Amino acid sequence: MTPVPLRATSIRNLNLLLKTAPRFVQNQFRQQSTTSSVNPEEVSHFNALASTWWDPHGSSRLLHLMNPLRHDFIRTCHASQPDAPPTTGLKYLDIGCGGGIFAESAARLHSAGSVTAIDPSPEVLAIAKGHARKDPGLKDKLTYRNTSIEGLPIPTSPAEQYDIVSIFEVVEHITHPAEFLDKCTPFVKPGGWIVMSTIARTWMSWLTTKVVAEDLVGIVPRGTHDWEKYINEEELRGHFLRERGWNSPRVMGVVYVPGLGWKEVSGSERVGNYFFGIRKDF
Amino acid sequence: MNPMAQALRSRQLGVYVCTACSRQLRRQRRSYAATAAKTPDIYDVVCIGGGPAGLSLLAALRSSPATSNLKVALIESQDLSKTRDFTLPKTEFSNRCSSLTPSSVSFLDSIGAWKLVKQERVQPYQEMQVWDGVSGARIEFDWPAEGKGKTIAFMNENLNLTSGLLKRVEELGDVEVFDKQRVADIGLGEETEEGDLRGWPIVKLDGGREVVARLLVGADGVNSPVRQFAGIGSKGWDYGRYGVVATLELEGSGWGGEDLKTAYQRFLPTGPVAMLPMPGNYSTLVWSTTPELAAVLKSLSPKDFIAMVNAAFRLSPTDLAFLHTQTEGQADEVAWRTQHTDFDASRIPQQVIGVQEGSVASFPLKLRHADTYIGERVALVGDAAHTIHPLAGQGLNQGQGDVESLVKTIEYAVTHGQDIGVQMSLESYNAERYAANNMMLGVCDKIHKLYAVESGPLVPLRSLGLRAVNALGPLKQFFMSQASGTGAKIL
Repeated sequence: MTPVPLRATSIRNLNLLLKTAPRFVQNQFRQQSTTSSVNPEEVSHFNALASTWWDPHGSSRLLHLMNPLRHDFIRTCHASQPDAPPTTGLKYLDIGCGGGIFAESAARLHSAGSVTAIDPSPEVLAIAKGHARKDPGLKDKLTYRNTSIEGLPIPTSPAEQYDIVSIFEVVEHITHPAEFLDKCTPFVKPGGWIVMSTIARTWMSWLTTKVVAEDLVGIVPRGTHDWEKYINEEELRGHFLRERGWNSPRVMGVVYVPGLGWKEVSGSERVGNYFFGIRKDF
Repeated sequence: MNPMAQALRSRQLGVYVCTACSRQLRRQRRSYAATAAKTPDIYDVVCIGGGPAGLSLLAALRSSPATSNLKVALIESQDLSKTRDFTLPKTEFSNRCSSLTPSSVSFLDSIGAWKLVKQERVQPYQEMQVWDGVSGARIEFDWPAEGKGKTIAFMNENLNLTSGLLKRVEELGDVEVFDKQRVADIGLGEETEEGDLRGWPIVKLDGGREVVARLLVGADGVNSPVRQFAGIGSKGWDYGRYGVVATLELEGSGWGGEDLKTAYQRFLPTGPVAMLPMPGNYSTLVWSTTPELAAVLKSLSPKDFIAMVNAAFRLSPTDLAFLHTQTEGQADEVAWRTQHTDFDASRIPQQVIGVQEGSVASFPLKLRHADTYIGERVALVGDAAHTIHPLAGQGLNQGQGDVESLVKTIEYAVTHGQDIGVQMSLESYNAERYAANNMMLGVCDKIHKLYAVESGPLVPLRSLGLRAVNALGPLKQFFMSQASGTGAKIL
């Protein structure tokens, strides 16, 4: 199936979008494909953004502001375990690390043993590597690799797997998310977590991320998001729980409040940005 | 375990990576020892200035579980052993005292420093008497019956505070102290194979030592070299006034005795004169006046100086102006004029009978406010960020408020993996403190200017203002709560 060339921001196409999008995404979620999870158009879009990735007042400011909540969310996942999580030596795999906002911050935590961070865009990864050099404390703990998930050897033992596999603000940029997630799951250690964040596909998220953030306010560069690729929490939950081997799904909805930053708002996962985490069975 | 407690525990355990970075640099130094003996040490926090703000920052960072793993250093030009060993007989007090609000004291207590401050040298006060020297309009800050005896603030010698803070820092340990060393230069690092330190401040000490800072904190006073290094401007003006300080002995321990002490402040056209209670029969003086009059006061014999202080709380501005023109003989003149002036003795301080030898000193009064408190890998606290008119006794408390806020910001950054030096991590500190301090600076500045007027329509207006405040209980309580730092935050 070829994606319908929608321009979500064009009023002319709004009607078409509203009619076709939900079914389109459902189909896509079931679809199987043998190609890479990476969408070349997405890669070139982020290549173009690379230079402003670490500008705190640039186009990635919202990501910088959101980053602390990622750690808060991982803490709540760990806190929900019946067994105590390790306090040191945690292994992280950050998929689609971009400029390394999360990867750097994870490597700075005392509880982190090592962080492997991958991204398919060479320009973005060059920015990430260059930025990490500005903090000598990261050198021993953080490794960047310019690859997609398909390029990493699939682990054959728990020792090669990761305590936390993070996929932040990535699945909404992936053409075949179900297939992509299936490629990520072998990297999670038994008892480890896969954590991700994305945007629910609702009229509200279309309005806030496409119309307001990209077109009206310009806080997010135009073309960053494809609303029709957004995924709802129940779709993610269903995907993992359908296959055996996963338990304790957790969700946290967050809302950006101008002037206050990102705030956790219970129930907002049904409306816009949210975190999703699920634990692999032992 | 309940999830909240567990979340909290894991947060406290989330400590900073930087032991690794310093270890790595030490390794590097070892391998290049022959050629690069001068490779500087990297610290997470380097604080320049070992005054109340700087020492409290270090004590707070070392006592918080989230930040106690940070590698920290203090640079101070003075010999800190003199501060540590501060001791004076019970009948003597240092002339540099500050009023500590209950919120400053509770912060100092939370970082474990207050217990190391000599409590027998601290004087809480429960009431304030403030009046207009021109019109006589008065506001009495005494608590309503149910709050009687509640402490408005604590008078304390600055040295007693810094001594207690330094003892706390030493008790906690693991702070690299470079004292008796001046900062020769502050520059930026270089890019080497090991990493890119072009954005990292390097402090060069005049002893030749170099330290690299992930975060450089300027607690280095009004002329802050750190602020200048960061290119942060500072705006403000000099008041053209000097603060004359002295340690005074009174005829008694105050009208309310040892347990009910009062702070007095009278607004004179030349500036406010304040007498603040110290333990026993002692008080400390802060008299803001013109540089010329300050010079006259400092030149007087103890007998005439005492007479002038008594006159400042009793005689009319006209009488005072005349007395200032005399080079000597104030004592007799004041005694004669006091007989012919009406005042209610119970609402002014008791008679001063002595002045501690060598305690009369003066310093210029200024208002300064830095354009921002943060830069890339730089934060300013205390006088480096702001200097205030002493009339409300807020200067040192603002510094403690800065430190409390900065440490909270650093804790958050550490537990969320942020680089504590980058401006993005420091934004919340600037946002929290800048507006609050700016308002306090503005209020004190306006009060000073309002009372500098000797005649004209402003005088009855401001008297009306004071009388109205005095008559309105809730409004007065609001002012008192603000002064004691227990009230609702205005911003």
